[in-house]
Amino acid sequence: MPDSAQSSSGTGKPIPPSSKPFAPEDEAALREALKRCSPSSFEAAVQFRKTGNAEHVPAVVIGVIERFVEPDLRMKLKDADDDLRLIEDLGIDSLTMMEIVILVEDVLQMTINNDELRNLRTVGDVKTFIDCKIRGLTLPKPTKFLPIEHIGAVMPIQPPFLFLNEASVSSTAANGKYKITGQEFFLQGHFKDNPVMPASIMLEALGQLAVLYLLEGHIPEPGKAVNATQIFFTGCEGVRAHRVCKPGDILTLSIKPKRNKMPLATFEGSIRVGQEKAVIAEEISLIFAYADAVNLPVPISAGVPESAVNGIAAPAGTPLRAAINS
Amino acid sequence: MPRVFITGLGFVTSIGNDAGTVTRNLRDLRHGFELYPPFQKPDIPVKLVGTIKEFAADSTDPEDWTFPARYKIKRELLRSMAPNGLFAHCAMLQAIDDARLTEPDCSNPLTGLYAASGGSPMLTNYHHERLQKVGVMRCSPLGIVSAIVGTLNFNLVAAFKIQGVSCGFSSACASSAHALGYAFDDIVLGRQKRVFVVGGEDGNTDAILPFAGMRTLSLQTDPTLASRPFDAARDGFVGTGGATVLVLESEAEVVRRGVQPYAEFLGWGQASDGWNVAISHPEGSGSAAAMNLALRAAKIAPEQVDYVNAHATSTLIGDISEARALRAVFKDSSTRPAISSTKALTGHGLSLAGAMESGFCALALREGFMPGNAHLTQIDPECGGLNILRVTAPTPPQVVIKNSSGFGGANVALVFQRA
Repeated sequence: MPDSAQSSSGTGKPIPPSSKPFAPEDEAALREALKRCSPSSFEAAVQFRKTGNAEHVPAVVIGVIERFVEPDLRMKLKDADDDLRLIEDLGIDSLTMMEIVILVEDVLQMTINNDELRNLRTVGDVKTFIDCKIRGLTLPKPTKFLPIEHIGAVMPIQPPFLFLNEASVSSTAANGKYKITGQEFFLQGHFKDNPVMPASIMLEALGQLAVLYLLEGHIPEPGKAVNATQIFFTGCEGVRAHRVCKPGDILTLSIKPKRNKMPLATFEGSIRVGQEKAVIAEEISLIFAYADAVNLPVPISAGVPESAVNGIAAPAGTPLRAAINS
Repeated sequence: MPRVFITGLGFVTSIGNDAGTVTRNLRDLRHGFELYPPFQKPDIPVKLVGTIKEFAADSTDPEDWTFPARYKIKRELLRSMAPNGLFAHCAMLQAIDDARLTEPDCSNPLTGLYAASGGSPMLTNYHHERLQKVGVMRCSPLGIVSAIVGTLNFNLVAAFKIQGVSCGFSSACASSAHALGYAFDDIVLGRQKRVFVVGGEDGNTDAILPFAGMRTLSLQTDPTLASRPFDAARDGFVGTGGATVLVLESEAEVVRRGVQPYAEFLGWGQASDGWNVAISHPEGSGSAAAMNLALRAAKIAPEQVDYVNAHATSTLIGDISEARALRAVFKDSSTRPAISSTKALTGHGLSLAGAMESGFCALALREGFMPGNAHLTQIDPECGGLNILRVTAPTPPQVVIKNSSGFGGANVALVFQRA
């Protein structure tokens, strides 16, 4: 009986590794299936199949993705953060995504539906998705990519005081980028003949990313939405600046929510330039308030078609499904 | 009427993987046959294949394939290819280089690509087995485009960003001759200024061995005795694969780009036997009709033809049919034209045959020789009354005909002239 018989079973229940013990011929089949993957991903797959321990899954998934990425792009996976994008950064098209899925299904003995694939945009999405499948957890809200137009449209803060060029938001984190252009008005005086991005502004940028998280990533109480005009800074702790940032530098900002309960939201945040640490904030606190939702955002869970997602239309080429012409 | 020229060639064949090697082997009558390792089993009576050297593409996994380092092909392209797609991709690169075409020359609405291959029986079998074994949802997403008839055009059109006409031709061993004919028409009608015509075959166990069931394959183990078109002792054909690409261009393009063509393509004709699904008409009626129509279209009298590259595959029935057709078309057939089947050297390339042998005709016209009919010891009396060349003639031909015939009694004749 082909495994695909269970393909409509959804994600609600854990998928245990095959109930029969892991036999030598299974190991041989696994070795053959993963012959073009790194030895460590093969080892991880063996461990997972023997123990069912989901800790081994990320290594398998990364190994499989790596195997399908053109060799000259594989370096990107070496120190990839979870925001590495499958299509834009790794050149993975929808057919390659299918190849990845089929191999992951085969190796981890699981079944993935077409609908579930559509929201997988980053390496982190894939890892989280597989992990939730295996543990039988509900899938988190998928990562949303917000271009500057979208950020400008939802944020209460506007240029020339908006310090985000692009951002991605999921239910567990938000990441953003800001390029210091040198045209920022305050750089004329900070410092004399020596433009340096003020640390206070960098903290402001992290705060703005936290605001964006509340508006786009936070799951509000039913029937409510975060009121964009009622979010304010209350405090921060453990802020340290590690690096002088100047025009031309691209700030990579990230925040992670630590605790969100109206009216207080706390985050940890950091800014990097390339691989270098620039700013760390152990805690940034905002206060916020709800308003009645006008258009009810539909919480995204597994199996909800993409068309139900409120807000941003997915960029062209997003659906991870093969284009079939015939 | 607009004129059509052959301006570029690419070869991956059993007798060479570039035009220079192919020319030498045609002149010197060196065959490309080897004992094919997968056939060396007691239950397989067929032993020889016209093998493709420098390439190893017998695996069902394209990432296992090896090919000359001068060809760089990304996994992204390889993954959807059949072996014949690999051969054809490499032949395309040669032909583009040979015709001195730029990327914009290849990718525009007036440049098309016609292709012919029998698909990939090996990959069809493999993917179907996977479907049975692992279930439909775990089949390769590229199983279909790599395996079905049409795989050649799908892959090449995408890889080379072709924007003009594209189509696959399926008339068995006449397929790529048909492709050439219709490409000619498109240029004459002004629909296209340039068309790549591609023939390809896997030439492996799954592509060749099914013909054993028809008893049409030679069982010889001696390569010099295996493929003997028109010989009294012939016992069937030897299979082969590979690919050939011809670049056809309008006269305006030849002038604009200032290139020296191999040959002019004067015209073509086709006719069907209306006789049997697999056996050629005993009198070669369709083949004769195709040649007459081609000559009329090309405005060439039979006595102007210097050389015929015959379809003759070395089968018992087919060679006789074609010999009769040739005698019917050419009144003074015992002296003119010179005739040979180069399948004595290459083996039978099935869908590839028409394109490959048209490529040989182009080389013969440009280099000024007529390749001999190798391995001919004693002409079958039924094939008598013809000027079959036993050795290569150093005489430059002016006008040549290429014959191709396929299952169902499909016959195509193409007429080329020295440029």
